[in-house]
Amino acid sequence: MIFNIFKKELVDTLRDKRSVRMMVIIPLLVFPVMLNLFIFSSKKIEENQAEKIMHIGLIRGNSNFLTAKLKQLSNHKEKQLLFYKDSLQLIKALNTKKIQVALVLEKKFETKLKAFQPARVNLISNDTELGFSERMNSDLAQIEQQLKKERFQQLNINETTIQPLDIKATNIASTKEMIGKLAGGFLPYIFITFGFMGCMYPAIDLFTGEKERGTLETLLTVPVARWRLLVGKLLVIVVAGLISATCGFLGLFLEIEVFGFTAEPEIATLIHSILSFKFILTLYLLLIPLIVFIAGLLVPIAIYAKSFKEAQSMIAPLNFVIIVPVIIGFLPGIEYNWVTASIPIINIVLATKELIAGTLTIGLMAWSFLVMLSFAALAVLFSYKQFDKENAIL
Amino acid sequence: MIEVNQLTKVFDLTKKQRKELATSDKQTTAVDGISFECKPGRIFSLLGPNGAGKTTTLRILATIFQPSQGTVSICGINTLEQPQLAKRKIGFLTGSTGLYARLTPNELIKYFADLYGVSASDFEKRKEYLFTLLNMHDFQDKRIGKLSTGMKQKVSICRTMIHDPEVVIFDEPTSGLDVITAKNIIQLIQDCKDQGKTVIFSSHIMSEVDLLCDDLAIIHKGKIVYSGEMNAFRAEMQAQNLTAEFIRIIESSNK
Repeated sequence: MIFNIFKKELVDTLRDKRSVRMMVIIPLLVFPVMLNLFIFSSKKIEENQAEKIMHIGLIRGNSNFLTAKLKQLSNHKEKQLLFYKDSLQLIKALNTKKIQVALVLEKKFETKLKAFQPARVNLISNDTELGFSERMNSDLAQIEQQLKKERFQQLNINETTIQPLDIKATNIASTKEMIGKLAGGFLPYIFITFGFMGCMYPAIDLFTGEKERGTLETLLTVPVARWRLLVGKLLVIVVAGLISATCGFLGLFLEIEVFGFTAEPEIATLIHSILSFKFILTLYLLLIPLIVFIAGLLVPIAIYAKSFKEAQSMIAPLNFVIIVPVIIGFLPGIEYNWVTASIPIINIVLATKELIAGTLTIGLMAWSFLVMLSFAALAVLFSYKQFDKENAIL
Repeated sequence: MIEVNQLTKVFDLTKKQRKELATSDKQTTAVDGISFECKPGRIFSLLGPNGAGKTTTLRILATIFQPSQGTVSICGINTLEQPQLAKRKIGFLTGSTGLYARLTPNELIKYFADLYGVSASDFEKRKEYLFTLLNMHDFQDKRIGKLSTGMKQKVSICRTMIHDPEVVIFDEPTSGLDVITAKNIIQLIQDCKDQGKTVIFSSHIMSEVDLLCDDLAIIHKGKIVYSGEMNAFRAEMQAQNLTAEFIRIIESSNK
C-alpha cells in the first residue's frame, strides 16, 4: 500500500513544474552557470585592468631616482607619470579619477637612499578602482628588490649573511587531505542546500497543498492507516531531496569535467581519484538520514500551515537553522571527535570532510550515522504526531 | 446501516484559534451527545445552519475524527474498534472535495480503487459501469485540471463509488455547484437509495431535502433539535413552508 501511495505521489510531484524546476533544473544549472559566469567576468575584469594605462601621480618625483626606475620597468608603457606640486591637487586628481594611484616621496628621499636609510614612499590610491594599487605595489616591490641588490653590492655584503635561518617547510599532508579538511565541507553544504530546496516544494504540495485543494479530507477516509499515508508521502519528499542534491552534484561534476573549472591537471586527477564508487556510496549513506531528518522537519510545518504562502514563510527560517550547523562544520579548528560526532548535521559535515581526506574512521562514522538516524526517526515521529492531530490536519 | 449513539466531539482550541474565535475557553464542543439511526434504502438528511456541527458529525462517521464520547456503528462495525474495516464500507463526498489536478480520471480512479483494496477484476467491472453511466470515456485520459466543473464532479462521484460502498456520506454535496452539475449529485443520491445503500447527507437547502430525504434530523449548536421521518415533519409543520419551519425550529431552540 505504501508503494501505491509513493508511486501516485511521485507521479503527481514529477508533473508539477514548480517542483521539477526546484528539484532538477536549478540544481543542475546553478554551478555551471554561476561558476562560468564568475570565471568569465573575473577574466574579463583582469584583461581590462591589464590593458588600462595606469596614471600615477607623483609629488617630488620630477627627475627623481624612483621616477627613473619606474620608467626602466618592463611594463613602463602601461603607465603614465603625472607630476603634482601639492597633495590637494593630487587628491583631487585621484577623486576625479584622472590618476589611479599617487606616490608621495618624502623630502629627503634621495638623500636617505644614498645614506643607506629607508626612504619613505606614501602610496595613495582609490581602491574602488580594482587592481591599480596591486599593480603599483608590485612595481614598487620590483624596484625595492633591485635597490636591495645594489645596496648589498655597494656595501660588499653577501646576501646570505643576513639570513640567519634557512627555513625549509614540509607539509606532510597530502593534497587530498588538504582538500578534504579545508574544502570538504562544501559537498555536504551543496547536499543540504539542494536537498532542502528539493524537499521543500513537494512537502508543501503534498500536505499544505492537499489541504488547500481539499484532497486531504478524501484521502483520510480511505481504509489505509495514517502512518502508511505519511510514509508514502515522506518517501516522495526524501526522493525529491535526493534527486535535487544529486543534480547539484552532477552540476558541479559537469562544471569540472565538461567546462574544465580547474585547469590544474593535478587537481583534476585528484578529484577523479576521490570520486570512487565506494566514496559515493559512503557519502550517500551518511547523507540519506540527513535528508530524512530535513523532510521530517518540513512535514509538520507543512501540515500545520493553512496555505502555500504561510508554509513558505514558516519554512524560510528553518533553512537558516539548518545551514548554521553546516557553516560551523566548515570552520577551521572544529575537529571530528566523539563530541562533534554526536551533534546532528555538524557530524555529517565533519564526517564528509574526513571521508574526502581519506581519514574517516569506521567507529566515528557509524556513531555519526546512528546519531543522524535517531534524529531522523524523531523528526518522522514528530511528523506522524502532527499528521495525527485532528486540529492541524484539516 | 449507521447507528450513532450519544456522540460528543470536543476540540481543544489552540491559542491562535482562541484568538480567531475571540474566546478564552480552551475547548469547544462541536457535537453534544447526539443519537440517530440511518437505515439501508433510505435517505437521511442532517440539517442545520452553518457551524451547527454537521460536518464534524459526518467526519466522525467517516472516521476522519475520533469521537470524544459515544459510539458510531457502520453496518454493525464499531468505527473506534475497527476503523479500517468500517472505512471500506463508506463512500465520502463533500461539496469542497478537490481532485488531483495533475492526474487523469483513469489514474485517480485506479489509485482510490487500490487504496480501497478493490480486486483487479472488480475494478474493471466497476470502472466500466461507472464510466458508462456517467459518460466519462471521452475524458478519461485528460488531466483533471483541464476538465470542466461538471466533468470533475463526475470524477468525484466515480471516485466515491468505485469500491461499491454500502454507506454513502454526502457533506453539502451540491454547495457551490450550478444546477446542471448539482443534478448529477441528486441523481447519484437517488440511485444509491434505489440500490439499497444507506445514505446520509448534510444540507441547508430545503428544496433538496424535500426532494430526496426520507428521514431527517435538525442539528443546532451541536445538539439534535428535531428528529423524525420527513412525512411526519411535513404533517407536523407549523410554518407555511419547509424553510420557514426549519427557521422556526432553530429559533425556538435558541429560546
